[in-house]
Order: sequence, then structure tokens, then C-alpha cells
Amino acid sequence: MYAIQAEQLARTFKPDIHAVAGIDLAIEPGKVFGFLGQNGSGKTTTVRMLTTLLRPTGGWARVAGFDVTSNGGAVRQRIGVALQEAGLDEVQTGRELLTLHAQLFGMGRRQARERAEELLAIVDLTESADRRVAGYSGGMQRRLDLAAALVHHPEILFLDEPTTGLDPISREAIWRYVADLNRQGVTVFLTTQYLEEADRLADEVAIMDAGTIVAQGSPEELKASIGTDVVTVRPAGHDGVTLKAAETLRTLEGSPEVRVVGDSVVVYIPEGARAIAPIVLLLTESGTEITDITLARPTLDDVFLRKTGHHIEAAPTGAHA
Amino acid sequence: MRLIRDSGILMLRSLRESMRQPAIEIGNLFIPLFFFAVTVGAISSISEQAFGVSNFTGFQLPVAMLQAIAGSAVAGAGIVNDIQKGYFDKLALTPTPRPALVLGRMLADAVRAVVLVGVIIAVGILTGAGMESGPLGTLLLLVIAAAFSLSYTGFAVSLALKTGSNQAVQLSFLLFFPLLFLAPAFAPKEVFSGWLEFLATINPVTYILEGSRSLVLDGWEPGRLLKAFAAIAGIAAVTISMTVWAYRTRKV
Repeated sequence: MYAIQAEQLARTFKPDIHAVAGIDLAIEPGKVFGFLGQNGSGKTTTVRMLTTLLRPTGGWARVAGFDVTSNGGAVRQRIGVALQEAGLDEVQTGRELLTLHAQLFGMGRRQARERAEELLAIVDLTESADRRVAGYSGGMQRRLDLAAALVHHPEILFLDEPTTGLDPISREAIWRYVADLNRQGVTVFLTTQYLEEADRLADEVAIMDAGTIVAQGSPEELKASIGTDVVTVRPAGHDGVTLKAAETLRTLEGSPEVRVVGDSVVVYIPEGARAIAPIVLLLTESGTEITDITLARPTLDDVFLRKTGHHIEAAPTGAHA
Repeated sequence: MRLIRDSGILMLRSLRESMRQPAIEIGNLFIPLFFFAVTVGAISSISEQAFGVSNFTGFQLPVAMLQAIAGSAVAGAGIVNDIQKGYFDKLALTPTPRPALVLGRMLADAVRAVVLVGVIIAVGILTGAGMESGPLGTLLLLVIAAAFSLSYTGFAVSLALKTGSNQAVQLSFLLFFPLLFLAPAFAPKEVFSGWLEFLATINPVTYILEGSRSLVLDGWEPGRLLKAFAAIAGIAAVTISMTVWAYRTRKV
């Protein structure tokens, strides 16, 4: 049995916006699944359907073995959800909020209090437990939101952009909790617009673009699928120089794929180490001065660029910190 | 019964919210008492000659009550806030019965209404409103307050669920003021001119006002009380249907 399974899952909004245009998922229990895409790619709509908050308009999905449409209650008992932008009640204290959630999950008052205490310790909020949520930093709110999602020991955890807008230290903390939970056997479905996050946490990654999944596999598989190394050259000078350098490099032996990204030229070429000398030679001959040249294995960013034709545009960090 | 238990838990959460924003409740108390004081001050000396009401303080007391109830109806605004913050989704993801999410806040409104009305009755009695129906009548007034609060707040709640917008919820106040003043708020409807008397006759708030007033001024008049509760039931039937419909066809 899959933890999460979907076939041709789709959601259309009126009049005819195909937010999710038919996706298939088969996620095994115990995995961390990274759902990568930029704003508006359909990630959040997918999460809302899988967590029973939004009805699909096409296809079906099963979570923890239960259909999300016909058996939403059973799904909700088994999943924990931390939605984008931590939806919290700011007038309550952290402790009150967790106790309330534990009670709504059926625990008695005393048991709920104990569970709240436990969770506060897990996400390092014990000291701030009796302060109102309004006074929490962005990172603390995300941690509290995560704790609220864990109240009932869910089998599957959905995290919708858990670290968007967080500073690196807070992000690191969230990553640590997620990795710990996964070690305890929790399946994690994580959406993110940070490639680093997907690379670091996910066993399997799907890249979502304009409502469809354009690539899927383990981060290693995806990177290997590029089949080349990546040489990035930064010519000295401005736009015209970069474009000219790109033109020049397209004439390299084997006519490799060349893309202009910002003020750099990216060359996808097999055996990159051997290609460096010809690249330098060719550019020097054409009168282009080189400020910087790097050789790298492909990253998820390269995969993303290859599959979607554009870079992932992450929201600026610190937006809610 | 999960519904009752969870509604209670969510009601307490909502009450905790008001305790932390005491200025709002003070405002809810001040406004009706202020109107009560100035209206009584302005009209009570002529009310007997003008329209045959000797105890104008008692006559005005139920108006202050209804104003306080309307002011304390914040369930709709609370739900909008929860929806906009994303917290409503968070609550909807728990196994709690769906109606509890709404009922918890509505019950909190009723509790607030009872507390405010209790204070207003106390002020009324101290300033000479009298209470012909005695302690039991006072208790019944509190029951009317709770029942009217629940039925009235449902209107804003349905708008909140349907639109998730604060502006829509503000509309419910626009609805209440005409209803309160197209009723015999300052004078008995017998002295109204024809059109106003007609509107007051078909306005359910008229009967809630007259029923409450009878407890203050006249003692026990089963006919009037029955009409008051029938009016509340009528309003409740409309707002409950609206709320159920709003939840089923919810956009947000």
C-alpha cells in the first residue's frame, strides 16, 4: 500500500484555470517526498486536495489508504498538516493552542496538556509556551504550527513550504525536526521552492510546473538524467558580451547546450574537465575576457532549468521573519 | 457527544479571546448604556403625556439589551479572522464535527450577551426601571438574550462562511439598526404613523422588544412572551438555513 497515491488528480477553478492538470503520485510509506515548484505551479492546490481541504475536479487520490473525497474523516485522523504561512490563532498562547488541538483530536483535558508539554519540548518552545503567539517570531510560529500538526501522532505529515521566509538558523531547525520525524517512520510530503531543501531532505522529488509534473525521481537520478557536467563562465563586460560569448560557445565541438543566465553563460557538456581548456581558448580567440569559470556536477537547479525552461524563483527570504 | 464537547472547547477559546481584548467588551457595554442614559434623560419627563408611558426607564431597558446583544455578536468577524489567518483550515483539519467550528463561536456570543445584559439589567433596576416579573422574569430576560443572540449572530456567521470577507460581515450591523428602529424602540407602536406602524408590525424585533418589555413593565403576559419566542425562532430558522447553505457552498 502506498502512503499517498493519486491518478490524474486535477483541480480546475472557474472559469478555466487548470491549477492542477492531472498528476499521478505513488509515494511509499516512510519516504520524504519533495514537491518542487515555484509560486502558482499548483503545489498548494495539490496539498489542499490531498489533505481534504479542497475537492478535486478530476481523478482520485488516496492518503493512508483512504479516498480523500469519500473518506475525508479517516484521512484527517492519519495526517498532520502545516500549511503555508502558519495559520495560527495569535491571541492564544502556544500552550493553549496545542492543548486545544489535542482536545479536538479527542484527548481529555489532562492528556491534552501533557501532549502539549511534550510537543513544546520537541520544537524548543517550552520557554515561550505561555506567551501569546502574536509575539512569536516567524520561525517560532512555524515550529508551533509543526507541533500542532503532530498532536495526534500522524502517519503522514504534509508540510506546505515549511521554511519559506525563514532565516537560515530557523530553517535548519525545521529540517532537523523533519529528518527526526522521518527517522521515526513518518512519511513526509513537503512542498518547497528551495532546491536545496528538496535536495537535502527528499528521497524522491517531483518537479511541478504549470499544473503538471515535469520530472520525478530521486535527486541523484534527476541530476544524472542531465547526462552532462555544468560549466559556468562569466565573461567580463555587459549583456552584449554575455550573449556573444554564448554564441561563440555554441560552436564548441559537439555543439553543447548553452544557456544565458544573468551575466553568466552555462554550458552543459559531458566530461566538463576536458572542456575547460577548449572553452577558454575559444573565448580568448574571440576576444572575450573571462572573469570566472566553474565546473560543477548538475544540481537540481539545472534539472529544474532543463525541464521547465526557467529558473525557480523563490520568494525573498526574511519576508515573514 | 463530540459536537457538544467540541463546541464547548471552542466556545472557551473564543471567550478567552474576549477576556484578552477587554476594551471591546467595555465598548459593547458603554454604547447601549450611553444611549439608554441620554434617551431616558431626554424623554422620560414627557413620555407620560406624550404616549402614556409612565416608567420610561423600564420602557427603554430592553432597547439597551438588544443593542448590547447586537454589539456582542462577533462570531462572524471572528470566523472571518480565522479564515483569513488560515487558522480555520487548521481547525477544519481536526476530526471535530464541522458545525462545532461555528457553534463554538456562536455560543461564546450568547455567553457574552448574557453577561452584558445582566449588567444592563442591574443598571436598569438601580436607576428605577423596576422589574414587575421579579427574579424569575429577570432570568427569562437572560434566556431571551441568549436565544436572540444565537439567532441574530447566525446572520453574520453565514456571511463570514460564504465570503470570508470582513466587509460582508459589517453588513449585518447595517441590517440590525433598521430592524431596531423600525420597531417601537422609543415609543409604543400605537403612536406611530401608518407606514412605520405597518413596518413595525411585520418586524420580528418588535415582538422581542415587546415581550421583554412586558416582563419589565407588566409582569407575566404569556401571549407577549410566546410572540417573542416565536419571533426569535423565526429569525433562527432563517439564519440557521443561511449558515448551512453558506457552509455547503463555501468558496474559501
